[in-house]
Amino acid sequence: MKRLLAILLAAFMTLGLAACGTSNQPAPTPTPGGNQPSAEGDIVIGVLQDITGPTSTLGKMIQDGAQWAADEINAAGGVNGRKIQLKTYDTKGDVQEAINAFTRMATTDKVTAVIGPPVANIGIAIAPISENYNVPVLAFAIDDRATIKDDKTPYKNMFLFQPSAMQQGDIMANYAVTEKGFKKFGIIYNQANAYSVSLVDAFKKSASGLGATIAAEVPYQPTDKDFKTMLNKIVAEGVDAIYAPNYTQELILIVQQARAIGYEGPLVCGLDAAPPFPSLAGADANGIIYINNITESEPQIQSIAKAYKEKKNSDATNKFFLGYDVMKIIAKTVGEVGDDSVAIRNAVEKLTGYQGLTGNITIDPATHQTKGLEMVMHEIVDEQPKMIKRYAVPEKK
Amino acid sequence: MSLQIIINGLALGSVYALIATGFSLIFNVLKFSNFSHGALMTLSAFIGYFVSVATGWKLIPVIAVSMLAGGLIALIGEFVAFRKITIRNTSPVYFFVSSITLGTLYEGIVTIWVGPNFYNFPRFFKSSVIRFSGLVVSTSDLIMFISSVIALVLLVLLIQKTRLGRALRSVSFDRDTAGLMGINVFGTIQFAFLLSGALAGLAGVFLGINYTLFPQLGNLVVKGFIASVIGGLGSISGAVIGAVLLGLIETLLINFVGSGYAPVFSFVIMLVFLLVRPQGIAGSNIQEKA
Repeated sequence: MKRLLAILLAAFMTLGLAACGTSNQPAPTPTPGGNQPSAEGDIVIGVLQDITGPTSTLGKMIQDGAQWAADEINAAGGVNGRKIQLKTYDTKGDVQEAINAFTRMATTDKVTAVIGPPVANIGIAIAPISENYNVPVLAFAIDDRATIKDDKTPYKNMFLFQPSAMQQGDIMANYAVTEKGFKKFGIIYNQANAYSVSLVDAFKKSASGLGATIAAEVPYQPTDKDFKTMLNKIVAEGVDAIYAPNYTQELILIVQQARAIGYEGPLVCGLDAAPPFPSLAGADANGIIYINNITESEPQIQSIAKAYKEKKNSDATNKFFLGYDVMKIIAKTVGEVGDDSVAIRNAVEKLTGYQGLTGNITIDPATHQTKGLEMVMHEIVDEQPKMIKRYAVPEKK
Repeated sequence: MSLQIIINGLALGSVYALIATGFSLIFNVLKFSNFSHGALMTLSAFIGYFVSVATGWKLIPVIAVSMLAGGLIALIGEFVAFRKITIRNTSPVYFFVSSITLGTLYEGIVTIWVGPNFYNFPRFFKSSVIRFSGLVVSTSDLIMFISSVIALVLLVLLIQKTRLGRALRSVSFDRDTAGLMGINVFGTIQFAFLLSGALAGLAGVFLGINYTLFPQLGNLVVKGFIASVIGGLGSISGAVIGAVLLGLIETLLINFVGSGYAPVFSFVIMLVFLLVRPQGIAGSNIQEKA
């Protein structure tokens, strides 16, 4: 019996080592041209998302949105008669996993384009590596460093399909200071998260430029769960509002604990206060002001959101619509220029006036970011998001 | 020093105390650090959560369900992961490996069951804040503090004043001699796991209320471990003292030096204790197995 167990164990170990061997293969030498799949067969699009891990609520929604759009396209006969096939890799929210997956997509799978991550840390990590290949990455990481190099020129393959951190921070500060009249802010943010850090930098710069002051700035660690003492420091300064551009779960804790220490004032938040946040945070969420790519009340959003709810029994969030739009943009581009990835990259760089569910999208060739794309300001009232107004993204200074 | 900061520190300390006590109980009896305790907190808290969502039950029945679930799962865990090692009296490192493996199994079960998302317990309290003389206390913190005190007093009474408690102390002191004196050793060990699991359920519910529920919630067991080291590994009262002290120290550090340095100082304090006074504040002189 023991011998049998030993043989089985040895066999498992051998198989395990073999599996490790294949997953850790060095990346093949990059091809000088683009990925050129055969004219026949499916058009393979890579999807690089956090399907598990701490930011999976974002990645899964993008994946769902892209799949929804691909299903619609395939049901209508595909692109030039060819079906779209999505090949999804899970980053698990881990930078190294994402780099490995991206390399495999670009070399082994030879995907036509990649629908990229929503998370800044991962976007920043794959940006320099993407220079080695000729596969466009249509992504949602809003940190400037995910699309623009240190010398201020864009990474050739990296694109952003929503306003950047600089633009979003600008909008938030403008709205909070000029529209709401807040003059004194406290800031609480995750100092290990590029998304939070870049939004805070932009917000501080714009708010200060508009004459507001930052009375207290409290960075925290990703492992922190108790924010009461940090919030006490901010509240003690008598701030008009707290700026908290953090991921949903941290935001729930911050909001609940802010209310638990008696702070009843407003919080100004980023995209992560969009649904499902209001229902998760409950009454504590009332009074929160946040920014979003979409508003649920618009007719073009409502119909697809209703269909999604019926099919999946859960609500589609803004990331779903971003994934949907990008998949449709790729399909449109493939329809126009074919599925050579360099041709697609060149066409995406010149994209102008594409009317998607998330707005009118134009890519600025100088930054590979959206230009003039509106975002929607919301306030949570009675645990429900209420649209306040659309804001055009200010031109980058 | 602001009284509000001390209140925040005590609230945080009572969270750590709940974790550390269940942890210390097993250390006290079997002399190993049971790192599956954190994942057991998560698993039993999720059971309580789904029961509360399905039935609409209030806080006390939900706590009872979680404690019962935690206790029963701990019993099964003891049988599956630790019984053979205890009987064979083999290398102590197997306890450590086994507890880590069991914890990974619990966490894996939760992840498969609920996915990687996070959940919020239904609102159990009408008012989330209690105010008195300019101070603000979160209702959940206050109830958690009171529950912790009640649970820990009952535990101490049970250990000090009952036959089962005497059996626990005997087995903890010398398992072989206790067996020779007619004490049901494995029955007593199972009883310790039952109690520890029930405390994991209680801690899990309050952690879930305060910090939302997610599969990695049990990672907070590290804080329970640090509290146990400071207080004295294996000592229940030491665990409580260590936990409250850790909560207060962390809160003060966050207030005065910021969140970034607070964990560094916590680990430094633990290392200082291990170097200078390895038996901790309570002075429990126990040789750790793993």
